[in-house]
Amino acid sequence: MNGKGRSVKGRLFSGKPEREVGEELEFHIEERVREFMAAGMDAESARRAALERIGDLERVRNECSELLEAERRSLARRDWFGDLLQDLRFTLRAARRAPLFTLVAVITLALGIGANSAVFGVVKSVLLDALPYGEPDRLVRVSATFDSGPALTGALSAGTVHDIQERQRSFSAVGASSSGGPDAVLNADDVATTVRLAHVSPDFFRALGVSPVLGRGFDEADTATDTSQVAILSHAVWQQHFAGDRNILGRTIQLNGLARTVVGVLPRDFIHPVRRSDVYMPLNLAPVLQDPVSARGSHFIEVVGRLDRGVALEAAHAEMVALGADLSAEHPRENRGIGLQAQRLHTTMAGETRTPLLVLMASAGLVLLITCANLAAALLSRTIARRKEFAVRVSLGAGRGRVTRQLLSESVLLAAVGGAAGLLVAHLGVAALSGANIEALPDYAELSLDGGAVVFTFALALLTGVLFGLSPALTAGRAEPQAVLRDESPGSSGSRGSSRTRGILVAAQVALCLSVLAGAGLLTRSLLLMASQPLGFEVGEALSFNVPLSNASHPDASSRILFNDEMSERIGSLPGVTAVAVTNFLPTRVQNSNSVNVVDGPPSTDDATPFILTTGVSEDYFSTLGIPLVAGRLFTTADEINAQPVAVVSQAMARHFWPGGDPVGARIRVGPNPESTPLEVIGVVGDVRSSLAETEPQPMLYMSLRQGWWGNRFIVRTAGDPLDHVNAIRAELAAYDPTLPMAQVTTLRDVVDEALAARRLPMLLMLSFGGLALVLVCVGIYAMFANMALAREREFGVRMALGSSRGAVATLVLRQGALWMAVGLGAGALGVIGVGRALESLVFGIAPLDPLSILAAVGALIVCAALALAVPVVRATRADPVVSMR
Amino acid sequence: MFAEKHAFLQGTLELLILKAVSWGPVHGYGIARWIETTTDDVLRVEDGSLYPALYRLSRKGWIKGEWGVSENNRRAKYYTLTPKGRAQLTEQVSGWHRLAMAVTHAVNSRHAPAGAG
Repeated sequence: MNGKGRSVKGRLFSGKPEREVGEELEFHIEERVREFMAAGMDAESARRAALERIGDLERVRNECSELLEAERRSLARRDWFGDLLQDLRFTLRAARRAPLFTLVAVITLALGIGANSAVFGVVKSVLLDALPYGEPDRLVRVSATFDSGPALTGALSAGTVHDIQERQRSFSAVGASSSGGPDAVLNADDVATTVRLAHVSPDFFRALGVSPVLGRGFDEADTATDTSQVAILSHAVWQQHFAGDRNILGRTIQLNGLARTVVGVLPRDFIHPVRRSDVYMPLNLAPVLQDPVSARGSHFIEVVGRLDRGVALEAAHAEMVALGADLSAEHPRENRGIGLQAQRLHTTMAGETRTPLLVLMASAGLVLLITCANLAAALLSRTIARRKEFAVRVSLGAGRGRVTRQLLSESVLLAAVGGAAGLLVAHLGVAALSGANIEALPDYAELSLDGGAVVFTFALALLTGVLFGLSPALTAGRAEPQAVLRDESPGSSGSRGSSRTRGILVAAQVALCLSVLAGAGLLTRSLLLMASQPLGFEVGEALSFNVPLSNASHPDASSRILFNDEMSERIGSLPGVTAVAVTNFLPTRVQNSNSVNVVDGPPSTDDATPFILTTGVSEDYFSTLGIPLVAGRLFTTADEINAQPVAVVSQAMARHFWPGGDPVGARIRVGPNPESTPLEVIGVVGDVRSSLAETEPQPMLYMSLRQGWWGNRFIVRTAGDPLDHVNAIRAELAAYDPTLPMAQVTTLRDVVDEALAARRLPMLLMLSFGGLALVLVCVGIYAMFANMALAREREFGVRMALGSSRGAVATLVLRQGALWMAVGLGAGALGVIGVGRALESLVFGIAPLDPLSILAAVGALIVCAALALAVPVVRATRADPVVSMR
Repeated sequence: MFAEKHAFLQGTLELLILKAVSWGPVHGYGIARWIETTTDDVLRVEDGSLYPALYRLSRKGWIKGEWGVSENNRRAKYYTLTPKGRAQLTEQVSGWHRLAMAVTHAVNSRHAPAGAG
């Protein structure tokens, strides 16, 4: 708002500066002409003389216009600033007069805005911020799509990668990487640690647009040698294990007992786009491509592509889909049922966090809307209480616009203070989140409230202030001063219109709250179901750890089996240890699946060969984990490398391949090689849930570790706290071989908990948003009806004096309340449907519109609302006829 | 006569404008005529300098322009002195007197500067 339009003077002033100056000068010239003509000149020479007196008319006009414009600008600024100072004074005065209201409003706003900026901070770092690569918008991930099977991995076979590199036209660079292999042991300064290893093609870093901060990337020569001799370190490994040694280049490090030369160090913020990796080695696909089976049969390579200039993601995706179809046709045996896709790299890295984050953002937004509706209603009541103040100001000459603006300034200032406090809330929230070190969030996300989040917070605060201040401000601006000043009644609460506005605001709060509560209910029930569904194995007290063996010290199966046997025996003899088992994957974390065909069996019903989750286990695995044997027998030490290969299947797998039949004695072929020796199924065991996110167990195949399936992950069943036994086991391992590290020490309970943590976080946040919404709504309902009951106190008194019962008066209040509640619940039903749809991919084991969750939400809302209503209703029935009539 | 860039004379023009509007609302042409007649045409305002001076004074907040209707029923912008402008006028008038007296005193002097001759 500036000086324009404030008075008659202002309005006359409001023409364009050039026109105003022009008119003034024209008047001057005409007067001069008149003067000269009166002195005897003819019209033409008079005008010429007048213009001569001015000189350069154009220059004068421009100079004057500029001066006038500058004057107006500074005037506008002064006016605006003056009004602002006045608003600020009024606001402080109003806040001092109602300290409790101000405090509650600021706290409410701080929670509402803080929740939003905390979630926004996470959303920004996960979904909005650029990835730490060069021109990250042009990066895509090319991955496989499987028509069937658990689709745990979208990795590609070497043959497919080779064909992509040969045939593609969409990318300027294609990088390949294999990051899913076993961890490696890094020996530095006599300390053995495990590191995550990634093998990458020379084009990998180039495609990502990343160059090492020290040294160089890989080149073709690095992959030409049979065994790779060079390594590139991540920044973290360089810092932690080599103390950031600037002379690291050329130094030899020991990886899995073999010497490697360090040729580069990656930037601090670099992160492998698929799996966080510590040490990088060159990826050489040539030997794999020469192997007829694994060339197209083993899927272990991740591919990133850099879109060529002018190529859209959609075009690249279409090209990959077409290429996938071509490859399926060219290699029907290996590639049937496997397609290709191209996705934005950011999308694949954000992964499953995207939906929960957006849902949380939306919920936080709903909570803020409730806050707005709540404060709008509260301010409306206050405005009505203060209407005399405004009426006096209007009759003393304050413009209506000025009163509206003052109230708006009050609410915006309130929101700004709330926003500042909210920033603090958000800061604490984000600190708690990053302190919790949640596995659920992608590795690249650095949680912090940056400048963007601060700007967002204050923009949000401004918007909030306008949103909740607008309706009261307009109401106050519209008030008729005479009518207000004449009306002497103390409590009459404004017009029918404003009470309807407040009713709508309460109904809106109820509707929004119901949506948030239903969402919280759905997530809670889903998580409870996930957690309460039997896992299929006994968690109890059990420790797990991994011993990564290097190829140098343990080059073959027999040396690894020997290690497993000897270590199991040593650990088993420790006091407090009741059982020891060895495997390659912990239950619920199996990441390996193989194609399975039944030999001589009926052809499988669907076209594609199913991929089945596969685990290698020791003989004691099933008894240690309490997985029951259903039919046949379990593995024994006799099932060793030279004996008939055998397999144990889960009940789900038995149902899948031999519906109604007996799998024991059947023969299956595992993996892509059609010439491989078939395995004989010797037993059926109970189902184990392969993922906590799924309530239905997937088919599972077990093989004996003695028959060539490598794994050194120990599961130790203990009496008492498993962590109490770590030191004894570590000592035992060190006594056996001091160069071997004990890695990834955890308890089975933590494994299960961690799997749920990713889902617990959104649920907890959703629950707290729901709780916050519920409290706000109750306050809102209470405030509205307290106000109404107070306003109609006299009427109620009269009614009772005339013989109305207390019950009848209570009904009167309740009816009005119930009406707005019903409107709110009705509108909320639509919100619930929307929430159900949004949560569809996050809710497991129940329908997206699970009636129990929704009924719980409605029930909680109604109970709380009833409590909030009770106080004003009781007060209404206590109205004293005598006092009221006086 | 009033050369634009001449600060001394520009200050004089501003003083004359302040004086001209001190009697009451007057338009730009009226100010020009007033200066001409009261100085017996000794000082002739160059109209091209008058208006920028008016806008400068208005921007300083010393005078205020308002649209009104002239004697012959034309829309014209009338200038009045603001309180701030009145204080300026008083100050500048006494300043002018001091200056004029000093200059008069100097040009009438019979003492040669030290070191002259």
